[in-house]
Amino acid sequence: MTAKGVRAALRPSRLLIGALALAWAVPFLWMLVAAFRPERVGGAGMASLVPAYVPTLANFAEAWDSADFVVYYLNTIIICAGILAVQLVTISLAGYAFARLRFPGRTVFFYLFLVQLMLAPIVLLVPNLRTVAQLGLYDTLPGVMAPYFASAFGTFLMRQAFQTVPRELEDAALTDGARWWELIVHVYLPLTRPAMIAFAIVSVTAHWNEFLWPLMVINSPDRRPLTVGLAMFTLGAEGAQAWGVTAAGTLLVVAPLLIGFLMFQRRFVNSFMASGLK
Amino acid sequence: MAELVVQMAGAGVKRVRLSRRHARNLLGLASLGPSLVFLAAFTYWPTAQVIWQSLHAGSRRTGLSFGLENFQAIAADPAFRRALSNNMVYAAGTIAPSLVLALAFALTLVHSTRFNTLLRSVLFLPVLIPLVAAASLFLFIFLPGVGLLDYYLAKLGVQGANWLGDPDVALYSIIGLTIWKNAGYYMLFFLAGLQAIPPEAYEVALLDGANLWQRLRFVTLPYLRPTLAFVLVIGLLGVITQVDHIFILTKGGPSDSTNLLLFYIYQQAVERYDPGKAAAATVVMLALLLALTALSLRRLEHNVEGRE
Amino acid sequence: MNFAWAKYLRAAALAAGVLSAGSALGATDVDVFFPVPVDGQLARDMATLIKQFNAAHPDIKATPVYTGSYDETLIKTRSATQAGKPPAAVIMSANFLTDLVIEDEIIAFDDLIARDGAKNDQFMGQFFPALHGNAVIDRKVYGVPFQNSTPLLYYNADHFREAGLDPDRPPQTWDDLVLAAKKLTRREGDRVTRWGILMPSNYDYGGWILSALTMSNGGRYFNEEYGGEIYYDTPTTVGALTFWSDLVHKHKVHAAGEQKGPAVSTAFLAGQASMMLLSTGSLTHVRTNAKFPYKVAFAPKNVRNAVPIGGASLVQPRGLDEAKRAAGWTLIKWLTAPEQSGWWSRATGYFAPNMRAYKLPEMVEFMAKNPDAKIAVDQLAYAKPWFATYKTVAVRKAMEDELQAMLAGKKTPKEAAAAAQRAADEIMRPYVERTALKVPATN
Repeated sequence: MTAKGVRAALRPSRLLIGALALAWAVPFLWMLVAAFRPERVGGAGMASLVPAYVPTLANFAEAWDSADFVVYYLNTIIICAGILAVQLVTISLAGYAFARLRFPGRTVFFYLFLVQLMLAPIVLLVPNLRTVAQLGLYDTLPGVMAPYFASAFGTFLMRQAFQTVPRELEDAALTDGARWWELIVHVYLPLTRPAMIAFAIVSVTAHWNEFLWPLMVINSPDRRPLTVGLAMFTLGAEGAQAWGVTAAGTLLVVAPLLIGFLMFQRRFVNSFMASGLK
Repeated sequence: MAELVVQMAGAGVKRVRLSRRHARNLLGLASLGPSLVFLAAFTYWPTAQVIWQSLHAGSRRTGLSFGLENFQAIAADPAFRRALSNNMVYAAGTIAPSLVLALAFALTLVHSTRFNTLLRSVLFLPVLIPLVAAASLFLFIFLPGVGLLDYYLAKLGVQGANWLGDPDVALYSIIGLTIWKNAGYYMLFFLAGLQAIPPEAYEVALLDGANLWQRLRFVTLPYLRPTLAFVLVIGLLGVITQVDHIFILTKGGPSDSTNLLLFYIYQQAVERYDPGKAAAATVVMLALLLALTALSLRRLEHNVEGRE
Repeated sequence: MNFAWAKYLRAAALAAGVLSAGSALGATDVDVFFPVPVDGQLARDMATLIKQFNAAHPDIKATPVYTGSYDETLIKTRSATQAGKPPAAVIMSANFLTDLVIEDEIIAFDDLIARDGAKNDQFMGQFFPALHGNAVIDRKVYGVPFQNSTPLLYYNADHFREAGLDPDRPPQTWDDLVLAAKKLTRREGDRVTRWGILMPSNYDYGGWILSALTMSNGGRYFNEEYGGEIYYDTPTTVGALTFWSDLVHKHKVHAAGEQKGPAVSTAFLAGQASMMLLSTGSLTHVRTNAKFPYKVAFAPKNVRNAVPIGGASLVQPRGLDEAKRAAGWTLIKWLTAPEQSGWWSRATGYFAPNMRAYKLPEMVEFMAKNPDAKIAVDQLAYAKPWFATYKTVAVRKAMEDELQAMLAGKKTPKEAAAAAQRAADEIMRPYVERTALKVPATN
C-alpha cells in the first residue's frame, strides 16, 4: 500500500520525467534522422527531427569510404578482448589472494590496490607513454592494452564474489588433492560466473569507449580503434562538415553497443549496478 | 583452511601446518604477482617518475636543476589557474544537477513496469556510447544557426547563444553534455539503493503521519546516504579524468574558458613540449585524487568489503 | 629531454640495421604523414595519389597516414620521430617550418637537390615566389610546397541581387565590405536570421584571418627574417582587430564569439551568411555543395592588397636513414611535379604551387570552366609568407585567445593586442635571449 501510494503521489512528475526522457533521446533521434537524410551537407533544415524525405544510405556509403571502419572495429575488438582476457587471469588470481589467503603485507597491498581505483592510467599519461615506448610498444595494440591488465576494481569484485563461495567446497577439493590453480579454475570461477560477466560487461564498455590513451599511443591509422577513428572523422573537415555523414559515422560506431544493450538490457544494468554496490 | 586439514590429519600437526603456511604465503604473493607487476609498471613507477620530473626544471639543452621551479611556473601560468577554477565550476555544475536529476529519475521510475523500464533505458543510453561519439553529436547540436538547439530556438523566436564560442557560455555547454551523458549512470545506483529500502521504514513513517516530502527527507535520503556518497566519489573521479569532449568540441577554448586540468596537462606535455610543467600539473592532479581517496576511504572500503 | 636522446640513438641503431638489410628486402617502406584540413574525400584522393606513385615506383612502397589537423600532424610527427619511426615525408603546415628549423627537427634538401644536378634557386624557381618565404630558411630549402591557399571573399550572388548590390562588383575595401554587410544582414525582430559576413576565429584559422586583415591594413604581422619578433601591439594589427570587433559590436553584421571554420562554411552554404572570408582550400567543397550562385573575390583591402599564403609543404624529419631519405625525396619530387600538383589543386581548391601546372592542358581547360579558381591564383601577386616564429603554435594561440575574448565582447581591441604581445614575448623569450639579446659580455 505504501509503495502504491508513493507511486500515485508522484504521477504528475511522471509526465515531467517522460518529457525529460524525450529530451534525453533527442540527440539519438537526430542521429538517426540525419544519417538517412539525402542532403549530406544539409541546408537550414539539417537539424529537423522530422524525417520528411526519402531515406538513403548515401551517407553511410560515404562514411564507410572515408574511414576504414572495418579496421577500426577489428582493432577495438582486439583491444577489448585482449584486455579482458588478461584481466580475467590477473583479477582471479589477485581476488583469490585477497579472499582466501593470508600473507605478509596483505593490508599494505590491499591499500595499494584500493588507491589504484582512483589512479586511472590516463592521469599518468606522460610517464606511461614513455614506459610504453621504452618497452617497444609504441604504436601497437598491446601498448594500448598493457596499462589495463591489472584491475583493482576487478580484483575487489572477484574478492567479494569468492568470499561467498562456501569453504566446504574448497576443503572438499583440497582433500581430493586439488592444486591451488585447479581450485580456482574448477571451484571458484564456475561459482562466480555472474560476477565475471558483470565485470566483463563493464570492462568491455569502458575500453570500447576509451579515447585519450589510444590517441596518444597509436600513430598508424590501421591500428586506430573506433573512438580515435571517429574523432579524426568528425574533425576531418576544415572547410565544411558533411553533417549527414558525421551522423552516419557516429551511428556506425555506437550501433553495436546500443544493439547489445537492447538485447541484454537486464544484464547490462545489473553489471553496472554491481560495479558499485554490493 | 590449514587448521581444518590439520585437524583431520591428526599426527605430525606442527610441521605440516608450518610448511603449509609458508607455502600459502608464497602463494598469496605469487597470486598477486601479475597484478602487482602491472600496477607497479603503470601506476606506481610512473607516479614516482612524475614526482621526480616535477621537481626538476630545465631541458636537455640547459641542464636540469632540482627545485620547485615547475610548480612556480604553473602557479604563475594563467592557463593553469583557469584550468583549476574551470574544473571546480565544472565539478559543481555537473555533479549537483546530475545527482538531483538522477534521484528524481530513480524516485519516479523505481517500479519495474514496462513503461518505466523503457524510460530507464532511454535515460541510460548515453552512458553506453563513447564520450567522443556524444561530443560529435553535440558538435552539431551546438552549431550556430543551423544546429539543433538554434534551429528549434529560432522556431520559438529566440536567438541562441554562441554555445561553444562564447567564453561565458562554453563551459556550461560542456556541463550540459556531461549531465546528459552521466545522469543515467547515477540513476542506476539510486535505483538499487531505493530498492533496498525496507518497506517497513515507509510504513512506520506513514503511521506517524509523514507526508511525501517528510518521507523523502526522513526515510529515503538517510537510507540513500551511502549510495549518494559513492556516486559523489564516482562523479568527482569522472570530472577530473574525462576530457574527451574538450578535444572534440573546444580544445580548451575559447580563450581557455573550457580548459580543464587533464587537458592542460596534455597541452603542456604534447603541444607545448614543457614536460616540467606537465609533470607539476600532474602532481597537483594526483594530490587531488589522493585527497578524494582519503576522504572516501571508508566508503570505498565499505563497498569493497561488501555490506555487512 | 633525456628521453629524446635515447630515441635518436635507437633510431640510429635501427637505421643502421635497416640500411644493411634494405637492398636485400627489396622495396623501401616509407610512411608519408598528411593532414586533410578540408574534406574527408581528400583522404581518399591522397590514397589514390599514393597508389599511383607506388605503381610507378616498384622499388618504393609509400603508405599514406592521415594525421588529423595541421596542429595534430605536427604532434604526431614529433611523437613518431621520438619513438624512432620518423615518416619519410610529412605534409606540414607551411608556418611550422621556422620553428622546426630552430629546433633542428627537419633536414634541408640542399644535398639531394645538388645530387640531382640542380641549384636551390633553380629547384625553387618552379614554385610561385610568394611561397619561398615559408620554404627557404637561412637560404636552405627545408620544404617543398605541396598545397597552398590564400583567403578569399566568398559571397552569395542571389543575396547580393536581392539587397540591391551588384554581384559583379564585389566589395574591394573595408568600407565597401561594411556597407554591403549592413545591407545583407537580415533580422526578425531582435534575432538575426542572416549575417552579412562571417570569418572564422578558431585555433589556427583565427590567427591566419587576423594576419590577412593586418596585412591588408599595411602591416607585416611578424618579422619574416627572424623568428623572435611578432608585431601584435602595433597600429596595423590593432586596426585590424578594431575592424573585426566593430563588425561584431558596432555594425552588428558578424556573429559574436568564436566561430569555427566548419560553422562558417555551413552557415554560408545554408544561406545564413551572405559573405565569408575563407581559405581557397574550401573552394571545391563550396562549388560542389552550394545550391545558389556564388562568386569569389580578393580579400578586401584597407591600405593595400596583401594576404598571407596558407597551406602546407613537404618536409623530412631528422632521423631517417639514407634509403628512406632518398625514397622520400623521390616521393616528394613526384608529388610536387606539375601533373600531380595540378591534379591535387583541381581536387581540393588549393592552388597548385608549381607554376608549370598551369600550362598543362587539363589545368588550362579547368581554369576556363572555373573562373573562380583563377581568382585565387591571381591573388598570388599580392601574397606574403605565412607568419612563422619560434614556437609558432603557442605564439599564435596567445593572440587567438585574446581575439576570441575580444569577439565575445570581453576585451577591447587595444587590450587584446597588448595582452597578446605580452604573452607572445614571454613565449619567445628563451629564443630571443640566446640570439638577438645575446650581446658580448662587458668583461
